[in-house]
Amino acid sequence: MNAELHCEISNFLYHEAYLLDHRQYKEWLDLLSEDLVYQMPIRVTSDNKDASNLVYEMKHFEETKKSLTTRVNRLYTTSAWVDNPATRQRHFVSNISVAPGSRPEEYRVRSYFLFKRSRASDIETEQLFGEREDVLRKENGEWKIASRTIYPDQAVLSVMNLGMFL
Amino acid sequence: MPQWVVTDPDIYQLEVEKVFSCTWQFLAHESELKEAGSYVTRWIVNDPVLLVRTNSGELKAFLNSCTHRGVHLCTADFGKKKTFTCPYHGWSFNLEGELIGIVAGDKVYGEEMDKSEWGLRPIPRLESYRGMIFANLDRNAMPLEEYLGGMKWYFDILLGRSDGGMEVRGIPQRWVATANWKAVQENFAADPYHVQTTHRSTVEMGISPSDPLYASYGHAIVLEHGHGINVATSKTGRSIYPFQATPELMWPMFERNLSPEQYDLLSRTTVFVGGVFPNLSFVSPVHGTEGHLHNYLNFRVWRPLGPDKVEVWCWFMIDKAAPEDYKEAAYRGYIGSFGSSGTLEMDDTENWSRIVQASKGIMSRDKELNYNNVANYLMGSGKFEPDENFPGPGTAYPTTYVDFISRGLHEYWFELISKDLLDAGEEAK
Ligand code: FES
Ligand SMILES: [Fe+2]
Repeated sequence: MNAELHCEISNFLYHEAYLLDHRQYKEWLDLLSEDLVYQMPIRVTSDNKDASNLVYEMKHFEETKKSLTTRVNRLYTTSAWVDNPATRQRHFVSNISVAPGSRPEEYRVRSYFLFKRSRASDIETEQLFGEREDVLRKENGEWKIASRTIYPDQAVLSVMNLGMFL
Repeated sequence: MPQWVVTDPDIYQLEVEKVFSCTWQFLAHESELKEAGSYVTRWIVNDPVLLVRTNSGELKAFLNSCTHRGVHLCTADFGKKKTFTCPYHGWSFNLEGELIGIVAGDKVYGEEMDKSEWGLRPIPRLESYRGMIFANLDRNAMPLEEYLGGMKWYFDILLGRSDGGMEVRGIPQRWVATANWKAVQENFAADPYHVQTTHRSTVEMGISPSDPLYASYGHAIVLEHGHGINVATSKTGRSIYPFQATPELMWPMFERNLSPEQYDLLSRTTVFVGGVFPNLSFVSPVHGTEGHLHNYLNFRVWRPLGPDKVEVWCWFMIDKAAPEDYKEAAYRGYIGSFGSSGTLEMDDTENWSRIVQASKGIMSRDKELNYNNVANYLMGSGKFEPDENFPGPGTAYPTTYVDFISRGLHEYWFELISKDLLDAGEEAK
C-alpha cells in the first residue's frame, strides 16, 4: 500500500475524530455512506483461548445511516441530557493499516482507538478502547465510511452509556 | 427516607449482609442454557455463581470457587463443558459439582481424603418461574413463588403470553454506571413521573405525545415484598397500539395462553415497567423511531459494586413464537432505546449519577439541618385511593404518578435491614 494513500486515509480518520470530539455530529454524518453498516459486537471472556471471544448475536450498536441520523438529531434537541452539560471527549486513533477492499474503490482499514470522556466537573474520566475495522470507499472523489465494526476490549464496559460514536 | 441512606457505606454493608443474602436473585433465563453442559457465570453481589445444565437436563448452581484454596474456578462468561478444572492445583469437578479428580490425590492425601466431601458448594436455593431462574443464599428463604406473590400474575402476561414463552437473544449487555442500586431499582419499578422530563427529547423528536401527563395514565401496582409494576395505558384507558404493537397473528395465541382478565389488560397496555425486589427490573415498551413500532422485553439486574456503583446486566427477550422479521426489528428497537447504547437509557444514567453525587454531604445527613435531609416520597399520598376494579393482584392506584411503589420498596428494605434489631428488641422484652 503506498504511503500517500495511507497518509490520505489516516488524515481522513483524524478529521473524523476531530468532528466527533467537537460535537459536529451533523458534519460527521456526511462522512457516512448511505448504505453504512455500523456495529459494535460484544466482547466476552470465553473458556477457549482460540475460540472467538466476540458475540455478534447481541451487540452494543447495530446501526444504519438512518438510525444514526436519528441519534444525531436527538443530540441537537434541548433535552438530550447525556450531552447536556456538553461532553468533553477525545477520540485517539492509531495503528492504522490499509488493505485493498473487495471492490476497486474500497479499502479495508484497521485502527486502534482510545476514547476518553470527561463529564461536568467529575475528576474521574471514562474510557473505552479497542480496535475498529472499517471499509472506506471513494465516492465522487470523497472518502466515505461504508462500514465500521467496533471491537471493544472490555466485556464489561467502563462507561455509563454509549452516548458517543466511536 | 433520609437522603444520606442512598450512598452511606455502612448502610451499604448492611444491605449486602441483610438484603442480598436472603432475597431471591435473578441469575439467568433458561433459554441461555439450552443443552447439557451449558453454563453461565453470574454474580450475587460478590459471590461468584456457576450455573450449569447437567447431563440429566437439571439446572444446578454452585459457588464458582474451588474447594481446595478458593480459586475462582470458571472465569468464562458462558460456554459448554463436561468438567471444570482449577488452574491452581488441577482439581476437577463435573457438572454435578462433584470433585472427580485430584492431581496426585492418592500419593499426597492420606486415605481419609474423601472426594465426596469436597464437591463444589451448592448455592443454597435455586428455583425458577416461567423460565426465570433465581437463586437465594438463605436456605430458609420462603419459596420463590411465594416471594414473587402477585408478580406471578404479571409475569404470566410478560413471559407466558406466547407458546414457548420468551427467549434471550445472545447474552446480556454489561456496563458499569455511577448509581446506587436502590435509586435505579426505583427508577424502573416506581417512577413513570421522570419520563416527561428525563425523556423529553422523545417529545421534541415527535416520538412521544406532548401531553405532560402521557406517562401517568394507567395503574401503579404495589405488590408484596417490595415489588411493583406500572401498567401504562393512555388517557382513554386503552393503548393506541393494541397488544403492544405485536403482529395481529399473535393475538389469538395470547388469548389461548392468558386468562380473560390478563388478555384484556395486555390489549390495553402500552408499557409494563416494574421491579422485583431488590435489584431486578424490567420494561416491556412499545418503541420505534423510524415510524414502525415494536415491543420487546428487557430485564436487567443491578449488581451493586459499592454504594455508588452498579454493574448493569441487560437482557433482551422476545416471544419465541414471534415472526423472525419482527424479532429482528424489535431487537433494533431495543438497541436504539434501552441497553448500553439506548437513547432513553443514556439520559437516565445522567440522573442516576447526579443522585449519588449530591447525597454524600453533611447537609444530606445532619439531623440539625433536617429541613433538607429527607428525600420526597409524598406524591399521591392522601390523594388517590386504590382502584378496586383493577383485575390484577396487588394494590392498584389509578395513575402512575404516585410514590406508593417506592414506599413499598423502602418499607420492605427497612424490614430486612432492621430485622435483627427488631428481633433483639423483642427478646429483650
Ligand atoms: S485451589 Fe483449586 S486446585 Fe488448588
Ligand atoms: Fe427512564
